[in-house]
Amino acid sequence: MLNRAIQPPIREIKSYDLPIPKKYTLDNGIPIYEVTMGTQNILKLELMFFAGRWYEEKKLTSKIATSVLREGTAKLRGAEIAERIDFLGGSISFGSNLDTSHITIYTLTKHLKNILPILEEILSAPAFPMDEIQSFILRSKEGLKVDLEKNDSVAYRQLTEMIYGADHPYGYNSTAELYNEIDRNDIIQHYQNNFVSENCLMMLAGKPDAESISLINKYLGQVIRKGKSERKKFALTPYPEQKWHLSKKDNVQRAVRIGKRLFDRHHADYQSFFILNTILGGYFGSRLMQNLREDKGYTYNIYSELDGMLLDGYFFVGGDFKSDITNQAIKEIYSEFGRLREELIPAEELDMVKNYLLGSLLTAVDGPFNAATVIKTTLANNLPSNYYSQLITTIRQITANDLQKLAQRYLQDDSFYEVIVG
Amino acid sequence: MIQFERFQLNNGLTVIVHEDKATPMATVNLLYKVGSKDEQPDKTGFAHLFEHLMFSGSENIKDFDIPIQNAGGESNAFTNKDITNFYAVLPAPNLETAFWLESDRMAGLSFEEEGLKVQRKVVVEEFKETCLNQPYGDAWHHLMGLAYKVHPYNWPTIGKEISHIEDATMADVKAFFHQYYRPNNAILVVSGNVKTTEVLKLADKWFGSIPAGTQPKKETIHEPPQEEFRFKEVVKAVPLDIIYLAFHIPNRNHPDYHKIDLLSDVLSNGASARLFRRLLKEQKLFTDIDCYITGSLDPGLFIIEGKPAHGVTIEQAEAAIWKELDQLKAERISEHELQKLKNKVESLLAFSESSSMTKAMNLAFFELIGDANLINQQADSYQKVTVEDIYEMANQVLRKENCSELRYLAKRDN
Repeated sequence: MLNRAIQPPIREIKSYDLPIPKKYTLDNGIPIYEVTMGTQNILKLELMFFAGRWYEEKKLTSKIATSVLREGTAKLRGAEIAERIDFLGGSISFGSNLDTSHITIYTLTKHLKNILPILEEILSAPAFPMDEIQSFILRSKEGLKVDLEKNDSVAYRQLTEMIYGADHPYGYNSTAELYNEIDRNDIIQHYQNNFVSENCLMMLAGKPDAESISLINKYLGQVIRKGKSERKKFALTPYPEQKWHLSKKDNVQRAVRIGKRLFDRHHADYQSFFILNTILGGYFGSRLMQNLREDKGYTYNIYSELDGMLLDGYFFVGGDFKSDITNQAIKEIYSEFGRLREELIPAEELDMVKNYLLGSLLTAVDGPFNAATVIKTTLANNLPSNYYSQLITTIRQITANDLQKLAQRYLQDDSFYEVIVG
Repeated sequence: MIQFERFQLNNGLTVIVHEDKATPMATVNLLYKVGSKDEQPDKTGFAHLFEHLMFSGSENIKDFDIPIQNAGGESNAFTNKDITNFYAVLPAPNLETAFWLESDRMAGLSFEEEGLKVQRKVVVEEFKETCLNQPYGDAWHHLMGLAYKVHPYNWPTIGKEISHIEDATMADVKAFFHQYYRPNNAILVVSGNVKTTEVLKLADKWFGSIPAGTQPKKETIHEPPQEEFRFKEVVKAVPLDIIYLAFHIPNRNHPDYHKIDLLSDVLSNGASARLFRRLLKEQKLFTDIDCYITGSLDPGLFIIEGKPAHGVTIEQAEAAIWKELDQLKAERISEHELQKLKNKVESLLAFSESSSMTKAMNLAFFELIGDANLINQQADSYQKVTVEDIYEMANQVLRKENCSELRYLAKRDN
């Protein structure tokens, strides 16, 4: 007779090393890293340029320059670019984040040779048509109007601005006024200065064939101009006041963000804090989730996040709460900080978090695209190549004492900004 | 080609195994054939609330998440109109932990009042977060209500009203469990770095002794054919207007499904698709426009939604959409355009087969609609579609009298 009360034994979670990518160098000196994995004949090619907000002469130019790249060249209209890529069953995306800009292609391996000439054309002679810039700006402003109606978006914008300041690359927010000040020349300048060889690295993941790398060299090894651009200097101007509340009437919920500036991935405490963050609010079994959702039913979702950028990092707790219990919810969040400072994490809980993290790291490197993303983060941040295996070691070795000390250092209630919207 | 084996236990549980040695993980996906369409009109949102309760403890396991996390895994679930789907991804050597957990909650829940009390609150907050406190969050309530007059697709999965969730009782919970959460009403798919023989052994060990239930009576409710254009206008404090057009289409299993799917792709799959290219980029009438189909077990919807650009009236925007639809009804698309859509589908299918978890979910879904092996026939079904098929479908589906229009308008201050 089966005894359901007896749990099957849990086996030790083995860790695997991150695959070592093959490195090639294109004729213009750009490094390309190849991760060959998986069973499908598919590829992801990503061009990453260090051309984000730190390189801007004017706010928002990195985002607009990257997005409008797809809208036409000297020879091809935007519509033709879209048509050709769609016909090959591929997709191409142009995106930017705070630090970098990305051009990403997904394609069947067999069509790489047909997609690359299109990308070469885009990079050699982007037209940045005036009307396309204007319509991009118009659409962005309309999207912004919707975002500004969402409490959680407003709260997030406010928090990062309070931490870094309204003029800092990690702190400024898009506004209709900023969009209105953009001139076509700003966009062209940003592209020409920063989309250059020494600011670029490429990742190729999936199942390339024997030709893939030489094809990439043929089409992209000349077109990206040789050169280097430097980051600009920006002063950090954090808000002196730590609390901010935007009241709205008729709100059924309030968005809360409680956060502070921390550090980038090079900091000695980054990996340990990543573990502490997981315990606090980084997974379903986290203390915040168990206390505020599963025990009290205050919210549908509550979480904490450690966000590492290339040059800095911040940490925050976020959730949307029923309006009349928001104050109690905030009190509970601080009381979870307090528990981590004052009490050792029980061994059972720590073991569970360790196992959970080791399993989730397996998923993080499962398949070519996931593995390439982890490798890219290591490269972009200029971290040692064994950073991922160091993280596994840190997880295996960290103690409840280490974590308590960390909480005492970084989770002091009065060190946090507090934003409430609603 | 996705290789799999299929078995059925004596209690009626279907078990499908797909070995995938490219991953160190295993996925355990358990699909229950129950969704919001099985609810009573005065007790909507219940299937989804029930999904939450499945994580609130079973007869022998007080906390579902602790063991799965201890095993290095993660687990979640979703509910839609047709199904409730639970899945866990964990390192393959710990596969049995997922069997222990999933089978215990199928064998019996703990049915504690406290769990129900908390999850009612959590789901009410989810309702507020996704439907009330978001611009356009209740658009789906209005649109489904307009398109379905009789069929239970009339309400969204989250529920028609908050009070239905607040009023759910333990008696409702128990009845629902005994009616739907039985082995003969479920499909178990295991994929990843596993051995078929071992999976089968585990399935028999953990699920084999759970008694079958009486097969839930499924009264198919047929939505009568729509014969007149329907229209609804909602005015609220939102930043911009949105227009929705919804057309009735056949179910996911219907031979016309792939044709209609490609018809929607003509309009909106990729940056070169007609609605995006013509109406948004060239004519600048919209700042956002999309078209998709619902692909449900019972007859679904073909939906177009768009945000008109600043200064464009909703009438102009609507007329521009109809002009595109009328063109599809009047002129056949070119072979070149059709080939483009087929190439896109070929790519999409290749990419979807690169994830073991996606494969498990898809195998379960295709088994639900008739046969797991349909997963291997999708590519063919799309390749067979002709220009003539697209033309016929456009004329059959995109008719004014088959259309429900929702205008979600921004309240103007004057």
